[in-house]
Amino acid sequence: MAGEKILLVDDDYDFCEATELLLQARGYDVTMAHDGEEGLEKVRSRQPDLVILDVMMPKMNGYDVCVVMKADPELSAIPVILLTAVGREMFKTSYTKQMGLMTEADDYIAKPVEPQELVERIEALLKEE
Amino acid sequence: MLTKPSILVVENDAAMVNRCGRLLLSRGYKVRTAESSKEALHFVEKYRADVDIMLLSLELPDLGAMSVIEVLHRIKSRILVMAMSSECGEEAIEAIHAGAYDCIRKTFTNARFWTKMNRVMERFTLARHLEILKKERESVLAKDSCDEGTILTILDSMADMILVTDQKGNLILCNKAVVESGLLSGRRLGRPVEECLKNKDLVSFMMATLQSGQPGRPFGHHEVCLLETGDAKLRAHINPVINGDGVIVGSVALLHDMSQTDAMNQVKADFMSMVSHELKAPLSALLMQISVVVDGLAGDINAKQKDLLGKSKEKTKGMIALVNDLLDLRRIEEGKALLVIEPLDMGEILQRSVDLMSLSAQEENIRLEVNIADDLPLLSADRSGMQAIFVNLVSNAVKYTPSGGRVTVDLNMAGKFLRIKVADTGLGIEKADLEHIFDRFYRIKSEQTRSIGGSGLGLAIVKGIVDAHKGTIHLESEVGKGTMIIVSLPLEK
Repeated sequence: MAGEKILLVDDDYDFCEATELLLQARGYDVTMAHDGEEGLEKVRSRQPDLVILDVMMPKMNGYDVCVVMKADPELSAIPVILLTAVGREMFKTSYTKQMGLMTEADDYIAKPVEPQELVERIEALLKEE
Repeated sequence: MLTKPSILVVENDAAMVNRCGRLLLSRGYKVRTAESSKEALHFVEKYRADVDIMLLSLELPDLGAMSVIEVLHRIKSRILVMAMSSECGEEAIEAIHAGAYDCIRKTFTNARFWTKMNRVMERFTLARHLEILKKERESVLAKDSCDEGTILTILDSMADMILVTDQKGNLILCNKAVVESGLLSGRRLGRPVEECLKNKDLVSFMMATLQSGQPGRPFGHHEVCLLETGDAKLRAHINPVINGDGVIVGSVALLHDMSQTDAMNQVKADFMSMVSHELKAPLSALLMQISVVVDGLAGDINAKQKDLLGKSKEKTKGMIALVNDLLDLRRIEEGKALLVIEPLDMGEILQRSVDLMSLSAQEENIRLEVNIADDLPLLSADRSGMQAIFVNLVSNAVKYTPSGGRVTVDLNMAGKFLRIKVADTGLGIEKADLEHIFDRFYRIKSEQTRSIGGSGLGLAIVKGIVDAHKGTIHLESEVGKGTMIIVSLPLEK
């Protein structure tokens, strides 16, 4: 399983740095971007196996990046995990349904992210591949 | 109109009684007679209001006229006394001194009689007028201090809009705020309200209140509605105007511009989401950083460092939970919680929620019992909301129950309600705390609860969810014995 390319797009550098350590420890090849435009650019140039997208970002938000990716036949197959800042358990089901219909993201995790949960979701999506 | 005064003639000389009586009757006065002062006093006592003027002979045989005058004076009678005397000497002066209005010589001519009588009548009329004026003044005192002009000035100074129609629905009053709002199609007081107002909803509501009390419509009912007028949103209160006799004489509408309130709420909402987002982003990073270090992904750490950072991680999670609770609660309060109503197997959700907590209950040596009735019908509700109810109620019960205690959860039907009962053998809640138990951030502070963590938002969230599902929540508690919470959710909304 090791070696899959993961693109992490989040404008919080500290979060990215720590998450990179987490994912590298699991053997993933991690690339980072810090805003939506840079993220979309790197999706195209690096062709990652999975993208983790923060929602609230400068220049282009995570929803829009996701919508663009899913509309592009070359990119639509890449699994996307959205990191939403919205609520948690209580509203996640309903919110997820709404956003899922709108953006076709493959999975959602409410921030703050439990490291273990993030790893499990990534593994699950990559297995589906 | 004042009625003619009625007159009591007190005289023992029959000829004199006749003469006075004839004269007075000839001009339409009501005349009564008494032969002695005793009889006169008796009459006054019995028909006090029926005597206005007393023609009183000073030459009565019994107690004497003076005692009559004194009694009238003492009881503060309004009766005007015209004394009659043969001499009009000392005794007349004495009578006037004691309170008689005037004295007439018994040898009077008709003209002389009427001159004297007219004066006392005039005095009577003046006294009555004065009384009437006094009464009127008392009843209009409030109006006096706030005359029409003042009221209109006050109405025109108000930010809220006021519209009043008469019984027939003609616009009879509107303040400056109405004129400035552009609600009117020209200020035409006295015209039917549908001609004066652009907003048809407002017109129909005002007309409807005029009809209230008629068959099929409750009397004096009060309408509250929201009106959209151009770019403004108005909250309208429309009431019938009911006079002192309980008759509807018009309709009054009070309109309040909601844009200000809305703007304030928006600022509050923006602030809340800004704060929570600003808190969540760094907390997210913090949690990830600590986790990575604790897990040794950033190099080896020793046991002590691991222990300390493990505690930091728990604290960070606590802060995250607080921020999440705040966000959840705000959404519930704003009615923005996206409730997805679907048929739910509540037994299954309860069992899962309890499973989450069974470990912490075990650690505290608390027996956690769950009784789920067989064949429960499905409940149409929001899954995440139901989970939140179970998790909050059960975790509270576990938290506030000392080691060795018991927490019992019952799920069954009670009539058309699904009933969730969570009972514990915990600390219990003081009476003084009970009324605040659903308040936000309310946490019971005592020596025993000091070590128990929580945001104080759990029960407020539960209440919000229960309300959103049109359910009820009931709480009973006894200090030292335990607490029982019953949530009832209707099967049909």
